[in-house]
Amino acid sequence: MRPLFPPGSNSVFRLVLVGAALSVVTLVAAPMIYVRSPLHTDENHVVAQPIDFDHRHHVRDDGIDCRFCHFSVETSPSAGLPATDVCLGCHAQIWNKSPLLAPLRRSFFTGEPLHWKRVSRVPDFVYFDHAIHVAKGVGCETCHGRVDQMPAIAQKAPLTMGWCLDCHRDPAPNLRPRSAITAMGWKPEGDPRRLGEALMTAYHVHTRTSCTACHR
Amino acid sequence: MPPLISDEDPGAVSRRGFLQLLGGIAAAGLEGCFRAPAGEIVPYVRTPEGAVPGNPLHYATALSLDGFALGVVATSYEGRPVKIEGNPLHPESLGATRIFEQASLFQLYDPARARDALERGEPRAWRTFLDATGKRARELRSRRGAGLWFLLEPGASPTIAALRARLQEALPECRLRSWSALAPDAASAGARIAFGRPLEARIAPARAEVIAVLDDDFAQDHVREARELADRRVPGPQLCRLYVAEARPSATGTLADHRLPIRAGRIEALAVALVKTLADRLPSPPELRALRVSVGPEEARWVQALAADLASRPGAGLVVAGRRQPPAVHAAAHAVNALLGNLGASVTFRAPLLHDPLAGRAVIAELAAAMAAGAVDTLVVSAYNPCFGAPPELDFAAKLLQVPFSVYLGARADETAAAATWFLPAAHPFETWGDARGSDGTASIVQPLLAPLFGGVSEVDLLAAFLGDPRPAHEIVRATWSASRPAPDFGAFWQRSLQRGVVDGTATPEVRPEPRWDAIAGALHAAAPAASGPIELDLYPDAKVFDGRFAPNRWLQELPDPVTKQTWGNAALLAPATAQRLGIGTGDHLRLVVGAQVVTVPALLLPGTAEDAVALALGYGGSEAPADHRGGDGYRLRGRGQDWIVPGVRVEPAGGREELAITQGHFRLEGRDLARQVTVAELPSLGGVEVPLSIYPPVDYPGHRWGLSIDLARCTGCSACVMACASENNTPVVGHAEVVLGREMHWLRIDRYLEGPDAAPEAITMPLMCVHCEDAPCEYVCPVNATVHSDEGLNEMIYNRCVGTRYCSNNCPYKVRRFNFLDWGYQKGPVLRMLQNPDVTVRSRGVMEKCTYCVQRIERARIDAQVSGRTLRDGDIRTACQQACPTRAIVFGDLADAGSEVSRLHRDRRAYALLGELGTRPRTLHLARVKNPNPALAEG
Repeated sequence: MRPLFPPGSNSVFRLVLVGAALSVVTLVAAPMIYVRSPLHTDENHVVAQPIDFDHRHHVRDDGIDCRFCHFSVETSPSAGLPATDVCLGCHAQIWNKSPLLAPLRRSFFTGEPLHWKRVSRVPDFVYFDHAIHVAKGVGCETCHGRVDQMPAIAQKAPLTMGWCLDCHRDPAPNLRPRSAITAMGWKPEGDPRRLGEALMTAYHVHTRTSCTACHR
Repeated sequence: MPPLISDEDPGAVSRRGFLQLLGGIAAAGLEGCFRAPAGEIVPYVRTPEGAVPGNPLHYATALSLDGFALGVVATSYEGRPVKIEGNPLHPESLGATRIFEQASLFQLYDPARARDALERGEPRAWRTFLDATGKRARELRSRRGAGLWFLLEPGASPTIAALRARLQEALPECRLRSWSALAPDAASAGARIAFGRPLEARIAPARAEVIAVLDDDFAQDHVREARELADRRVPGPQLCRLYVAEARPSATGTLADHRLPIRAGRIEALAVALVKTLADRLPSPPELRALRVSVGPEEARWVQALAADLASRPGAGLVVAGRRQPPAVHAAAHAVNALLGNLGASVTFRAPLLHDPLAGRAVIAELAAAMAAGAVDTLVVSAYNPCFGAPPELDFAAKLLQVPFSVYLGARADETAAAATWFLPAAHPFETWGDARGSDGTASIVQPLLAPLFGGVSEVDLLAAFLGDPRPAHEIVRATWSASRPAPDFGAFWQRSLQRGVVDGTATPEVRPEPRWDAIAGALHAAAPAASGPIELDLYPDAKVFDGRFAPNRWLQELPDPVTKQTWGNAALLAPATAQRLGIGTGDHLRLVVGAQVVTVPALLLPGTAEDAVALALGYGGSEAPADHRGGDGYRLRGRGQDWIVPGVRVEPAGGREELAITQGHFRLEGRDLARQVTVAELPSLGGVEVPLSIYPPVDYPGHRWGLSIDLARCTGCSACVMACASENNTPVVGHAEVVLGREMHWLRIDRYLEGPDAAPEAITMPLMCVHCEDAPCEYVCPVNATVHSDEGLNEMIYNRCVGTRYCSNNCPYKVRRFNFLDWGYQKGPVLRMLQNPDVTVRSRGVMEKCTYCVQRIERARIDAQVSGRTLRDGDIRTACQQACPTRAIVFGDLADAGSEVSRLHRDRRAYALLGELGTRPRTLHLARVKNPNPALAEG
């Protein structure tokens, strides 16, 4: 008489047991991995903008300082986007017939502002302040990446709370002199940690990890 | 997401609704897996001068109420005013505000504000109105303005004064009048008796060591006066003694050392007795000594003690009479102040600043008579809602309907708008140009913060239309001020006036009047003797809705009344003994009958109310009050020619009953030492705060240690702090039904406790918000670490971690945590959303919240200091409640800095830790209130 369970049944049963255990782990682990992956954090994701603005050209080729357009980065929580008349400060003279800039001219003459799509976004309950980070020696590049190499702007850091806290717990490696705040591709000379710690003293950098430092 | 449970009936969840709810929860869980769509960034086209996106701008302007201005500073984000503070440079504000100024923002963004100009209910353009008015004005000019009446909001604005003069010149026969349902005409008439002319009195409690208040509530009504009084309520050589005689407990009465609950109709006799007693003691004219005294023995004892106290401090006393009292009481107050040599010291006088010294019943009766005679063919009204507030026997609405051409300028389409031929939506003071004066004459320019949200015009525009003046209000106001100043200096003057919010050197000079003793004695001889008898009705101006104009304001409706703690509507206040005799309990519906007028309101038993009196707040019951909780209309009971104190009201149970939305459940201390109060003699026995033993290891705070102190000696209970907190922290309004369920959301509450007999209890107010315990009971029980301690000792509440178990609230001995049972914060429309402070998270359903010590202000001040390379100084950070407090009862600061104001107050011997025996070690300390009783009136 044939046995009810063939000899391979034991192996199948063991595989099923292992598989069940694995799937439980996967159910928990997969979402945790997913929310940390660029799929969810939107890293490197390019968003279509009303004007195909090329940071590579403006920063690298023209050598325009970040603060020329993002004028409130040193004084306000918001870095600020240039008003239409700031753009036209140059573009009334150069490329003033370019069809690419038609939305800009339309904005100026109709008074209807440009609607840029946000690229780097933190949730509503996070109160990020550009001014204090710049004052403490956190460079633009540290969070926003090599903007001078981006034809279209994309988010370069995960902007997760863990990423924020990494720096808030140990800011030294991410600090630079204020003179190099907007520099792209800046590298510290000498021992990076020694420099960072010197800057922490010079700029009175305190490691703040209390919840209300960011959530209010 | 729309609310899954209906807001109206949160208790009823059907099976279907429950399943929907489950589905919703599941969907909400999934929602976290997808990133919300990235928002937009919309920069300016042309950046306005001075604007930096993300940083607020502050504009100085002024808000007028009751004729006079209070200087304010409005905080505006990207052209959107979100917070009002007092202007420290303004003599009547001194940097603080009342509840009205705080709540004026809701008036601005109220989605139910009128939006269209209407001609007999049909929308019209402003241009059409100008054409109609132009035609009318030409006609009127041909007959020198005969038949034209103006009924304006009382005020002292220089620009309005100039426009009025021009109108009077162009149309000599037109009548220009001011009117208000709450006009203090008796004060004006009292001054006329005492001094022969209608002078405006301005009191200075700062210069008085003994203060007697006859039915007035200046501590609630005026910031400067409250501040000066509070400065004299803290122990020290300046400590004053305060006597208050009143029918209904008020904020001023709460502070009193000796409060006499007395029927308002007997105060006239009390004032006569005071004059007579003092006249007997001091050198005085013989006609005063001949007065007859008709008060009872208890009142006489009170008067004797007060008179002795006043006479012992000549030149440093003060007697104040309230607007509800008849002219004779005001004359008596002037007489006492004159006898004691207080004139020019604790009370000063000015020639009237208001356009019209009289603006009450006499004015509207004169107009009604003219209307009845057909002598009014054009009527322009900018006074608040006369069809609601006019005495009922005038039948004003019916008469207004008969006027061929009437114009009403109002914030909402109310009763008067329905009866007028033209209705114009009024612009909010933050939307127009204008000017105003404080009660000392100091002028302020009113400047707009934003373009009118819903159209709207101002009184200046309206008067200019009748003059045919095409200039915008901005130019008209500028012209008023440039007339007296040469051109080269004017630009700088204008800039400086706008920046500072006050125009330098505009305070008007004092006058030193001589009392006319014969007229005073005549008025006092004619004064009514102390009557008892049937129940008297006390109508009083409400602390929240004023004359009714703020009744639609949901912020103010939800604010607990400073005395009764009632929200949403009014109630008839009765002494418990009177109510017992009538067989009435709190919440029972009462019929109040005066002549043919009947008003049904719920009763509220309030210890400290005079016996045989029933008090009702005015301003409720109008058509624009919240539909479900209008309250009773006291104006309809203004019968028998009486505006305030109506004798012989019939009070009868109406049968029904309702649950009043009162936020405090129990008013007795029951011998517990919560709101601490001592007499001056007991002061040395206080020993300050001791640190209780703790099994927890001490925590080291290397940096700042934030702390707060609340001085109960200074607190009047006025509730400006509560309104300021709600405005600053985006506190939602929950509505009457939810307040009844105990779900009000104010982070800061003011408990009011009573001690002593029900007939004449002592009251004490105690503001309470999260006290930020060092060993916080809430933190130990939170399963998700949503409430934790910061490195500076704040008890933090992290909304995005909170899962809503409410364990923290259950474990909080102070009951200061608030839970979002519904999505109140998100259910605001697009207009009301503009009201929200962008620095504070809007909380969603299922989240606990509480006072954060205004952590957004701490962080902003810290960042501002560090970005500009300086360290934080004491006073850089002020919490919203502290900044609004008229009496400086609340002080915030760094306990690590031994020199800070809050450290000094924490070391005061009066400081105590509320419920300190529980070992919570609160960072907020209260300071015991001090009473300075007169030994002559001591019990026994």
